[in-house]
Amino acid sequence: MRTLRENPLLRYHLLGATRYRWRRQPWLYGAAVLGIGLVYLLVLQLTVFNEAGMITTLGLALFVMCIAAPLMAYNLFSLEYEKQTWESLALTRLTAREIFWGKYGAALARVALTTLLFAPFLLTTYRATTYVIVAAFIVLFSWGALLVSVGLWLSFKLKRTLTTAATLYAGQVFVLMLFPFLYALFSGGEMGPGQSAIEWVQNYRDGFLAWVISLLNGSLIIYANPFYASAQLEYMAAVPAWWWNAEGWDAYANALRYMLWGFAQSAMYLGLAALFAGFAYRGVKISWRK
Amino acid sequence: MLDVQGLRKEYGELVAVRDIRFQLHPGDVFGFIGPNGAGKTTTIKMLATLLEPTAGTATLNGIDIVRHPEEVRPLLGYMPDFFGLYEGITVTEYLEFFAAAYRIPKAQRAAIIDNVLELTDLTVKKDAYVETLSRGMQQRLCLAKSLVHDPILLLLDEPASGLDPRARIEIKELIRELGAMGKIVLVSSHILPELADFCNKIGIIEKGELLVWGAVDEIVAQLQANRVLEIRPLGEPDALIQRLERESHVRGVETRNGSLYVHFAGGLEEQADLLTALIRDGFRIATFREESLDLEDVFMQITKGEVS
Repeated sequence: MRTLRENPLLRYHLLGATRYRWRRQPWLYGAAVLGIGLVYLLVLQLTVFNEAGMITTLGLALFVMCIAAPLMAYNLFSLEYEKQTWESLALTRLTAREIFWGKYGAALARVALTTLLFAPFLLTTYRATTYVIVAAFIVLFSWGALLVSVGLWLSFKLKRTLTTAATLYAGQVFVLMLFPFLYALFSGGEMGPGQSAIEWVQNYRDGFLAWVISLLNGSLIIYANPFYASAQLEYMAAVPAWWWNAEGWDAYANALRYMLWGFAQSAMYLGLAALFAGFAYRGVKISWRK
Repeated sequence: MLDVQGLRKEYGELVAVRDIRFQLHPGDVFGFIGPNGAGKTTTIKMLATLLEPTAGTATLNGIDIVRHPEEVRPLLGYMPDFFGLYEGITVTEYLEFFAAAYRIPKAQRAAIIDNVLELTDLTVKKDAYVETLSRGMQQRLCLAKSLVHDPILLLLDEPASGLDPRARIEIKELIRELGAMGKIVLVSSHILPELADFCNKIGIIEKGELLVWGAVDEIVAQLQANRVLEIRPLGEPDALIQRLERESHVRGVETRNGSLYVHFAGGLEEQADLLTALIRDGFRIATFREESLDLEDVFMQITKGEVS
């Protein structure tokens, strides 16, 4: 706990670095907050009154996260190199763990805050079940966590803020847009594996198998896409699995549930996030001789 | 005590620093002199535990900097040649950040920060935002940051670079004061007269090799084994030149601006004898003095202007 509680770096990244900007340009920031606040309320009103589904609310939240999360991590280490502050930091008694958590913790806190900002949207999503809402929250947070982890690592590795930001955004375009395009190219124009690909799934073991098969046949690049995941979450909300509604259950919704749809993707994102965060931590430990 | 034992750094084929050795004691202010690319910054970074030496080591109060960098770091303060400061916070907050990072107990922080601000003459700026400070003040703040944990060794890489004359003098005074406080100060600079003012020891490095190190006076004395005497005679110098060339300790005579510059291999006794002999022989001498070497002369005599 001391790593977080008494960490001056975490405090600086959470509070110190932004306070002055607010004070220096209060009107500019005030106008921006007011504008964004109004848009926020307007979109919330649209969500409620137009019975927006999960594909809309989670899609919107994911879109904002895709834009915002890189900005939360792209300069955490690169700025230390660009501003020549890293040597002074490395020589302090802060451990590699404290330095890492000071930076990563601040980025994760911002991701959590962004996730919370979208709570009213996700909670008021039309016909969303508890499973779908929880899955949506966790997908949103874990996708953000993955982005900041990659950002943290790139920021350490590339040592250049702009290069890190460009790589993060370009990487997202590649993964979220070009991967599905490539998939479509090699599957006769189909934009996804289709319902029939997993309708055979009837239990959790089948669900696990379905994930393994998706890894082998390439459909994982579609399943792991958070926007695709949000579309299927909407389907799960619209057409329940058998244990929600014994009368009108749907085989595809059933399969999605057995595949732990949403949670499985989140586990993947968090796993990858841990991997990249581990790379960044190891980098600090070795390069900074900590 | 800082004991540097054969410190060496190689980058592939390139040897940036070659087996450097020197010892410094509390209160020593050591001027580390060398042309650009000589290996000063690499040496300082190795001493600061930021770079691992290829061979050799150094100990600070008996602690090995290679084996125990984490134990040495709290004992040293480092000011890099290019440095930045965390922005968006005040001077006091900046120092609090480093005080916390050096694990100084909360109860002691305020007093220590006040002391350091006073020492670096930044008390009036304690509530100013870091980015609003002038370059000279930022330099002093960087030094203040290096002092919050009361290090015994200070490594200052070009601390006066980019400063106006007033700020240079202030930094110089500060370094002198730190030496007087019993800290070991290692300071690198290109501006030699500046170092001569406040260093009691110097080391000259070129092409990664420490050519000479020791007390400034001793080095100058060593190099002055071959003294240059300036003799300004009244009247034509030709007879005097012929007379001087007969002297056994005279290695050569040059004429410049009406003065004779005599390369003399003898000591003070022989100098006195020469003057007595010249006067006895009837030469009228207006000036007879030994040209003293300053740090620039020492530097020019020792180095060849090569980089590694």
